[in-house]
Amino acid sequence: MGTKKFLTGLGATATAVKMADVDVITSFPIRPYTGVMMILSQMVANGELDAEFIHADGEHAQLSISHGASAAGARTFTGSSGVGVTYAFETYSPISGGRCPVQMLIADRTLDPPGDFGSEHTDALGCRDQGWIMGWAETPQEVFDNTLIYYRVGEDPRVRLPQFNCHDGYFVSHIPGDVEIPEQSQVDEFLPPYRPVDPLDPQNPLGHGPQIFPDQGPALEAMRHNAMMAAMPVIEEAIDDFGRIFGRKYAPFVEEFMTDDAELVFFINGAHAHTARYAIKHLRERGIKVGLVKIRFIRPWPTDVLQESLSRFKAVGVVETNSSFGIARGGGILAPEVCGSLYDVPQRPLIASFMGGLGGEPITLKEFDFIAEKLKKIAESGKIEKPVYWLGFEE
Amino acid sequence: MATQKVEKTKVDRIRSLAKAPMDDYYVSGHRTCAGCGPAINYRMVAKAAGKDTIFVGPTGCMYVANTSYLCVPWAVPWIHAQITNAGGIGSGISAAYEARIRKGKYKGKFPNVIVMAGDGGSSDIGLQALSGAMYRNHDLLFISYDNEAYANTGIQVSPTTPYGARTTFTPPGPVVPEGKKLWPKDLAKLIVGGHPSVAYVATASIGYPIDLMNKVRKALNVEGAAFMHIHAPCPKGWGFPADKAIEIARLAVQTGMWTMWEYENDEYKINIQPKKLKPVSQYLEAQDRFSHLTAEHKAKIQNFVNHKLAMLGIKVPVEAVTA
Ligand SMILES: Cc1ncc(C[n+]2csc(CCOP(=O)(O)OP(=O)(O)O)c2C)c(N)n1
Ligand code: SF4
Ligand SMILES: [Mg+2]
Repeated sequence: MGTKKFLTGLGATATAVKMADVDVITSFPIRPYTGVMMILSQMVANGELDAEFIHADGEHAQLSISHGASAAGARTFTGSSGVGVTYAFETYSPISGGRCPVQMLIADRTLDPPGDFGSEHTDALGCRDQGWIMGWAETPQEVFDNTLIYYRVGEDPRVRLPQFNCHDGYFVSHIPGDVEIPEQSQVDEFLPPYRPVDPLDPQNPLGHGPQIFPDQGPALEAMRHNAMMAAMPVIEEAIDDFGRIFGRKYAPFVEEFMTDDAELVFFINGAHAHTARYAIKHLRERGIKVGLVKIRFIRPWPTDVLQESLSRFKAVGVVETNSSFGIARGGGILAPEVCGSLYDVPQRPLIASFMGGLGGEPITLKEFDFIAEKLKKIAESGKIEKPVYWLGFEE
Repeated sequence: MATQKVEKTKVDRIRSLAKAPMDDYYVSGHRTCAGCGPAINYRMVAKAAGKDTIFVGPTGCMYVANTSYLCVPWAVPWIHAQITNAGGIGSGISAAYEARIRKGKYKGKFPNVIVMAGDGGSSDIGLQALSGAMYRNHDLLFISYDNEAYANTGIQVSPTTPYGARTTFTPPGPVVPEGKKLWPKDLAKLIVGGHPSVAYVATASIGYPIDLMNKVRKALNVEGAAFMHIHAPCPKGWGFPADKAIEIARLAVQTGMWTMWEYENDEYKINIQPKKLKPVSQYLEAQDRFSHLTAEHKAKIQNFVNHKLAMLGIKVPVEAVTA
């Protein structure tokens, strides 16, 4: 059953895209995501994948072409990194509002200035409010799996939303790991062919996206909101089915590691969870009761799951590989969402953010030690001394 | 990009207005201004294209004034595009049908994909998307309906606005007496000049419906990308009475302000060539947007037109100006 391959995140994505029998692929070069398009274009040239491979005139065009293709009933794949992601910003809301389940790989890259190839999540997180499903994978295997899971969730008639399938540039996009490649028949069982609802088709003439007046706005926005909320049970269903068919069982929204008796946790998304696991093992040897809470979906944000999970701990350190200058509490994008999620919970942990990995720096074991130390102090004293720490700039 | 494509139905020439199809696919339900040139154009294009058509409509008058209140005036599928990306949306629709038909995922025939973009959405903010679609040679027809301004936002200058026109961003005043100071971008030439895959490029005008509809059919019969630039006077923006759009459109051709040609097989063909051209002043004086121009400005425009015609190889005398 299946084979094992040693693949990068980009190789894993391309393999999954091929197995998903995508119809239209739109490309434009920017590091680090570019590699996925090199692989896919070779697959098309070799005749291994039957798809229109389009050289778009920029990222805005990549997304626009994907939008048109998806509205006309095709399964589509696109991708980008860094400023490429922000260049296409105008197109994101029309795609989700048009309920087109386009999938976009984001292999994160720091935004300019200055030019920097390293991974930082601000490119993707800056687009978090555009009505796209969004989450991060930590390993090439998770990348492969998420690619299939996202198509299935996004194309589900109860959801019909596009997806940002994110992983860290280089740390995941370029570092290979073992990936179980399933049989095509397993993929076909998990992911049925895309059955578009009301595609552009002269046999069934319909208008997509007519102008409205303000009084018609609330209903449309509520529909998009409901679709995003409806994704929650659909994700759970898909993850269940995924486990049954492929034998790999994920926690749908929030994965915990060594949390059974933990008092302190690192809250994290993406590749740095990998280092965090090692750090936790070392810290545990020194008697520090620390664990990991890794969030797999940022949109929809799993408020209920986080309330249940995080209210069990004394202190939560939110690791922020992103920036939002002047945001509430003055740190990154995730902490205010974590705080907001816990506001209604009587038993709340204390929460501090740790700005780390900015510009694509690795977050080192030492830095995780530092976070754990601060969290320990916070838990013991029962109060936070400050809401945000910048790793590498602190005493 | 086509490999094995399902054959497209070829459409025949329309011989006269009386023999034009009775069926309309751009129907009632819009609220464009009375006498709107772009709306007249839409009706002719949809009539010529017929029912197996998908329209792409970027933001502009032909979006906003056509689709108010969540209803649409098309009897064929239509999708909104951003003002920036109609060429991209059109490319995607065409690519989707290539792939789905080839892979056996769609059983019908390949539709006509027509992008209907304003001059702003094609010669300016949408130019990159247009150029990309032409360069990649997707099977589609991109039409730029030219009302010579960003009309929907309140008549602001665009690259195709003529020299000397008053718009709400080029008001004449003592320091800038002519209003718009720049010469217009020639979009159709830009497509011909830099897009070798494009097999068919034509200009047309709502003043000449048979010519317009037959050019649409020719463009749709072409394999791959085709482009049309269609002159569509705007009574509100240009300042002429609502019942004069066709007359103004014809006058533009009769004065040489608008030229009618086709480009195929590496050659330009002039389609409508008056025996004698009327002076441009007749055209300018029929519209309020030029009412501030001096004789000197008008002479400059006449020179520009003479030069443009010479470049196209049109050598017809201009009638003397009769005051
Ligand atoms: C990105 C963006 N910028 C600006 C606008 C505002 N806008 C709406 S309609 C329009 C005018 C479009 O002009 P044109 O393409 O010539 O079409 P027309 O209205 O003249 O028919 C503009 C600028 C917009 N919708 N989107
Ligand atoms: S402003 Fe001009 S183009 Fe727009 S609807 Fe009115 S007449 Fe038509
Ligand atoms: Mg215009």
